[in-house]
Amino acid sequence: MTTTTDTKPAIELLGLTKRFGRTTAVDDLSLRVAPGSTFGLIGPNGAGKTTTIKMLMGVLTPTLGLARALGIDAEVEPLTLKQRVGYVPEAHHMDRWMRVREVVAFCRSLYVSWNEDTCREMLDRFELDESKKVKQLSKGMLVKLSLVLAVSHEPELLVLDEPMAGLDPLAREEFLDGVLRTICERGQTVLFSTHSLDDVQRLADTVGILHGGRLLVHRNIEELLATTKRLRATLTNGRVPDRLPDNLIWQRVEGREWLVTVGEFTEETAQRLRAEEGVGHVEVIDLGLEDLFKDFIRGQRAVS
Amino acid sequence: MNIDPRSHVPIYLQIAAGIREAVAAGIYRPGETLPSLRAMALDAQVNPNTVQKAYDALAREGLIYARRGKGLFVADQGTASAQTRAHETVRRAFDQGVRTGRAAGMQADEVRDIFEASLGNSAETGKHA
Repeated sequence: MTTTTDTKPAIELLGLTKRFGRTTAVDDLSLRVAPGSTFGLIGPNGAGKTTTIKMLMGVLTPTLGLARALGIDAEVEPLTLKQRVGYVPEAHHMDRWMRVREVVAFCRSLYVSWNEDTCREMLDRFELDESKKVKQLSKGMLVKLSLVLAVSHEPELLVLDEPMAGLDPLAREEFLDGVLRTICERGQTVLFSTHSLDDVQRLADTVGILHGGRLLVHRNIEELLATTKRLRATLTNGRVPDRLPDNLIWQRVEGREWLVTVGEFTEETAQRLRAEEGVGHVEVIDLGLEDLFKDFIRGQRAVS
Repeated sequence: MNIDPRSHVPIYLQIAAGIREAVAAGIYRPGETLPSLRAMALDAQVNPNTVQKAYDALAREGLIYARRGKGLFVADQGTASAQTRAHETVRRAFDQGVRTGRAAGMQADEVRDIFEASLGNSAETGKHA
């Protein structure tokens, strides 16, 4: 999509940390997102996804570290950031008594680069009735309106905080279509958080798994699927060998069955395991994104 | 184009396989253009970057080629190459099945019965589909 040779990241987090009293919501988070790519952020409830996004957007102030979107620190240049980034927040802050037409007019007046054609086209495609009041809109309509307002100023970066949560399948598909169209037409960078691994598979180039405010992994999805495997081994005497495989993510022993999920898997990983004393048959199991995600999270819960 | 986001097979490989099947089946013929990135992305409901990866993979194996400014075309040997590949895929799947059977201690006749039954099943479903 992008032919840019610019290697400056579209998003850069460096040691980003947020504490609320004694609770650490985001813990020393560092990552870079390449321009033109789509990054999906997943994690259980309370993992710190929304807090991270709010710091990036300047809604919350980091306790430590920094967050830059398009090289802009929201702390330093909040207005420049707003002009160049589109944001669909978790909760929509539109006045409930305003009509759609008035909300659109208000947003149009805020942005230098507002593209009225884009706005019209999207309102039409989403069949948004501009005479309706915000409070009359369904959840799906509200999210779609929020997307129209977030992309009509043609931002270089689009940030979506759990946009598809609670949408019916049809509304979800229409929203996804809207996001894909803007990616096709403008090739902008996208960051989105979600609980839906299907959405990650469809939208994202790279995925980050957040747990307890820490980033467990951030990688290209194909690489992650290719290198994360679950091994099912028979333990001939029911005991796990002393030497565990490298890059262990999660393991479970039940009777003679040993399930062990590892990262950076190669054929050698399986061979080494087969050579261990007390290990019989070893089968390599491919994982879908959902099982992979669960193993990462279960592995964390087991150690904490 | 139907894709399965639950599968462990990366989406770009699923798209590449789908196009290969379509070429083998004669839906896209040699010399014809493939859908644009945008059209394919919106149809399959996936990121255009992912479709690009699928097209790159198919171009590397010689099934399709790009003509500057004109889009992507099915190569002259496209149909034959896709059929050869499909043949290979089926053979490998059967190899895997035979290995599984041997590992479970089955004799050749038992494996053959399973294969015949499987052929029969697909003929049945073919009729009713």
